[in-house]
Amino acid sequence: MSENLNIFVGLAMGLNLVALGSSRLTSVIRAAAVQGVLLGVLPLLMEEFHWMILVVAVLTMLVKGGLIPSLLNRAVKSANIDRDLIPLVGYVPSLLLGATGTLAAVAVAQRLPLLPAHAHTLLVPGALASVFTGLVLLIGRVKAITQVCGYLILENGIYLFGLLLLHSTPLIVEGGILLDLTVAVFIIGIIVDRIRTEFDTLDTHKLNMLRE
Amino acid sequence: MNTGLLLALFAAGMTTGILAGRSAVRIWLGGTLVGAGAAIVAASQTLLTGATWDWQPAFAIGAQPVHLRLDAVGAWFLMLIAVVGGAATVYSRDYWSSENHPASAPAGRCWWSAVLLSMGLVVLCANGLHFLLAWETFAIAAYFLVTLDRKNSETRAAGWLYLAASHGGTLCLFGLFTTLAARTGSWELGDMREHTELAPLFWLVLAGFGVKAGLFGLHIWLPSAHANAPSHVSALMSGVAIKMGIYGIVRFSGWLPVPVSAAWFVAIIGVGSAVLGVVFALGQHDLKRLLAYHSVENVGIILMGVGFGLVGLANGDTAWGRLAFAGGLLHVWNHGLFKSLLFLGAGSVLHATGTREMSRLGGLWRGMPWTAGLFALGAAAISGLPPLNGFVSEFLVYLGLVEAVNAHGGVALPAMATVVLLAMTGALALACFVKVCGVVFLGAPRSEAAQQAHECGPLMRGPMLLLAGLCTLIGLAPVLFWSPVSRASVAWHPAWSGLPAPAGLRALTVAHPVVAVAALMGVALLFRRVQRSGGSRAPTWDCGYAAPAARMQYTAGSFAGIITAWFEWVLRRERHVQAPEKAFPRHAGVVEHTPETVLETVFKPAADRTLRAAALARSFQHGRLQSYLLYLVAGLIVLAIVTVWPVWQ
Repeated sequence: MSENLNIFVGLAMGLNLVALGSSRLTSVIRAAAVQGVLLGVLPLLMEEFHWMILVVAVLTMLVKGGLIPSLLNRAVKSANIDRDLIPLVGYVPSLLLGATGTLAAVAVAQRLPLLPAHAHTLLVPGALASVFTGLVLLIGRVKAITQVCGYLILENGIYLFGLLLLHSTPLIVEGGILLDLTVAVFIIGIIVDRIRTEFDTLDTHKLNMLRE
Repeated sequence: MNTGLLLALFAAGMTTGILAGRSAVRIWLGGTLVGAGAAIVAASQTLLTGATWDWQPAFAIGAQPVHLRLDAVGAWFLMLIAVVGGAATVYSRDYWSSENHPASAPAGRCWWSAVLLSMGLVVLCANGLHFLLAWETFAIAAYFLVTLDRKNSETRAAGWLYLAASHGGTLCLFGLFTTLAARTGSWELGDMREHTELAPLFWLVLAGFGVKAGLFGLHIWLPSAHANAPSHVSALMSGVAIKMGIYGIVRFSGWLPVPVSAAWFVAIIGVGSAVLGVVFALGQHDLKRLLAYHSVENVGIILMGVGFGLVGLANGDTAWGRLAFAGGLLHVWNHGLFKSLLFLGAGSVLHATGTREMSRLGGLWRGMPWTAGLFALGAAAISGLPPLNGFVSEFLVYLGLVEAVNAHGGVALPAMATVVLLAMTGALALACFVKVCGVVFLGAPRSEAAQQAHECGPLMRGPMLLLAGLCTLIGLAPVLFWSPVSRASVAWHPAWSGLPAPAGLRALTVAHPVVAVAALMGVALLFRRVQRSGGSRAPTWDCGYAAPAARMQYTAGSFAGIITAWFEWVLRRERHVQAPEKAFPRHAGVVEHTPETVLETVFKPAADRTLRAAALARSFQHGRLQSYLLYLVAGLIVLAIVTVWPVWQ
C-alpha cells in the first residue's frame, strides 16, 4: 500500500524537476497537469473505497489533468505567447535548486514530529518539495503563464499535505479547493488575454510601471 | 453671572463666528466679540473669586465622559485668549477684509473663530482625550490661518514647517497622555503629584509643549510662520498661541511630580532662549521675523520665572520661588499684550508700505504718527522699560532671583548669573528696538512705498490703542494685578494660599505713576521750550557732504553690526562683500543674511539623513513580482526556523 503511494509521490517529485528544467511553456504546463493526475490517484490508494472518494479523485484528475491545462493552452494560443520561457534563474541553477530543495525536504521531514502512520511515506517530503518547486517557478520565471504553473505545482504540494488530514477534512472542502483553483486559473486566463490586448506583452517586467 | 452660562455664550459666539464667517461679516464680528467678551467676564470672575468651575455632564465623546473645568490657571490663559483675540478680531476686519483678499478672507474668518474656540477648549478640557482633540483642532486651524496667503511659496513652506513641527510636538503629547491614562487608569486630568513614578513624564511635557511654546532649539517653525502669516494672525500666534505651549508646561508642572533636574532644565532653557532669542532678533532685517525672535526671547523670560519657581519648590517651597513664578505668569499676559500690539503695528506698516524689509522703510512717523507712537510704546514695554508692563513682570522675576541670591543656598550662584543674563537680555532687547524704531519710523524714507505711507483706519488703530492702554495700566497699577496672579499661583500650587503682595510691587505702584507724570511733564516742558524759541527744521548734519541721500542712513544691519559681531559664533551670518575697487568703482555692495542656524545646522541635516535612509528602504519596493515572492519565501523560511528550532532543540 505505502509502496504504491511512495511510487506515485516519487513520480510527482520527478515531475517537479521536469517543470524546473524544461525550457518550453507547453512542457511546463504538461508537467503540472500530469502531476495533478498522479496526485488525484492518491486518495484511492490511501483509503478504503468509498464512492465519495472516487468522485473527488475523478473530479481532481479531470480538472487538473484536463480542464486547467486546456484553459492554459488556450490562453497561450489566443494570446500568441512565445513558447519559450524567459528565466530569471537559469534552468541548470533551477534544477540544482530544486534537487537541493528535494533533498532538504526529505531531511527536514525526517526530523518533523509526524504520526507513525505518515513517518515512512514520501507524503511530507513530496509536499514540501512541491511547494518549494512552485515557489522557485514563481520567483524564477518572468511570464505570467509560467507563474500560473508555479502556482499549480505549489497547490499540488498543499494538496499533498492535505492528504495527511484526509480523515478529518470533509471531502466537500477538497471539492471546494478544486473549484477555487479552477476559477483562479480561469480568471488568470482572462486577465492574461486582457493584459495582452492592452499592453501587447505579458512580460511581467513591463508591468512594473503599474506599481504606483 | 454663572460661569457655565458665560462659557456657553463664549462657545456659542465662536460657533456663530465659524458659521457666519464665510458670508456675513457683521454677524461674524458680533458673534466673535460677544464670545470673547463672555470669556473675559468668565475668566475675570474666576480670577477675582478663585472659585473653580467644574462641569461633568452625563454624556460622553469618544467613550470618555465630558469634563470641563475652569480654575484660576485656566482663567489666566483664557483671559489672554479673549482679550488679544478680541482686539485682533476687530483689527482683522479692516486688515484682511473681503475687498482686499477675496479668496482667503472668508475662510480666514471661519478659521479665526475656530482657533479661538479650540484654544478656549484647550484650557477648559479636563479629560486627556478631549484635550488632545482640542489641541489638534487648534494646531490645524492655526495652520490654515498661517497659510491664508498661500499663493506665496514662502508662506506655504512656512506652513508645512509649522505643521510638521507642531505634529512632532503632538506626537510627544500622545505618548504623554496615553502613558498617563495607562498608569492612572483614567483619562481624567488633575493633581497627580503623589504618583512619584510619573516624574519622568515631565520631559515629554517639555518636549511636546516646548515645540508650541517655541523654546530655543525647538523654535524652528516660529520665525517663518510668524513672519509669513497675516499680521493679525501673527499677533494671535505670538501673543496667544505660543502661550498655549506655556499653558501646557505650567499646567503639567503643577499636576505632575517634577524631577529636580527638569526644574533646573526649565530655568536654564529659559535663560538660553531669552539670550539667544534676542541675539537672533538683532540679526534680522525682516520686521516680523525680528518680532518673532523676540517671542523666543520672551518665552525664555517666562520660563525663567516658571523654572525658578519649580526650583524653589524643590528646595523646600521658598518665597523667592513664588515671586519668580508669579513674575513668569504675569509675563505671559504682558508679552501677550505688547507683542500683539507690536505685530499689529508691524501689520499697519506692512499694510501701508507693502514690505516687511526694514531696509526699504524709514521716516514712517510722519505718515503714520499713531502707529509709530503705539509701536514705540510697545517697544518700550517689551524692552522692559519702566513705567510699562514689561518692567513689572521682569521686576517680579528679578525680585525672586535677588531673594534667592540673598538666601545664600546652592541656588544663589545660578540665580546671580541669571540676574546678569536677564539684565543683558533687557539691554539687548532695548538695542534691538532702538534699531527697529530708528530704522522704520525715523530718518528719511528709503523707498517710494515708505514715502507714501498712510495712517491705518480707526478699526485698526482702535485695537492697538486698547492693547497699549492695557500695557500702560499694568505698568502704572501693578498691585491691582497681584491678586489674580496670586490666585492663579494658588490654583497651580494649593499650598501657597494667601500670598501678600510683595513690598517691591507696592513701591512700584507708587513709583511708576510718578515716573510717568515726571516724564510727561518733562516732554511738555521741552515741547513748550522748543515752541517758544521758534526753532526751525533742518537736515541732520551731514559732515559737509553736498548731496545726502536716504541710502546713506544707518541700515538695520549696520546699526546692530557691533552687537551681532559679538555673537558671530552662534549667528553664523553669511556676508557677501563686493568691495569698491580702483579710484572710480562701479559696483560695490554688502549683502548680509542671518540663517536659521538651528534649522539649517541641526534639523535639516538630520532630516536629510532620514530621507536618505527612507530612500534606501524604498528601493525594496520596486514592483518586481518575483522579488516580492522571494521576500515572502525568505520571511516564511525565517518564520519556519523560528518556530521549529525550539522543538528540535
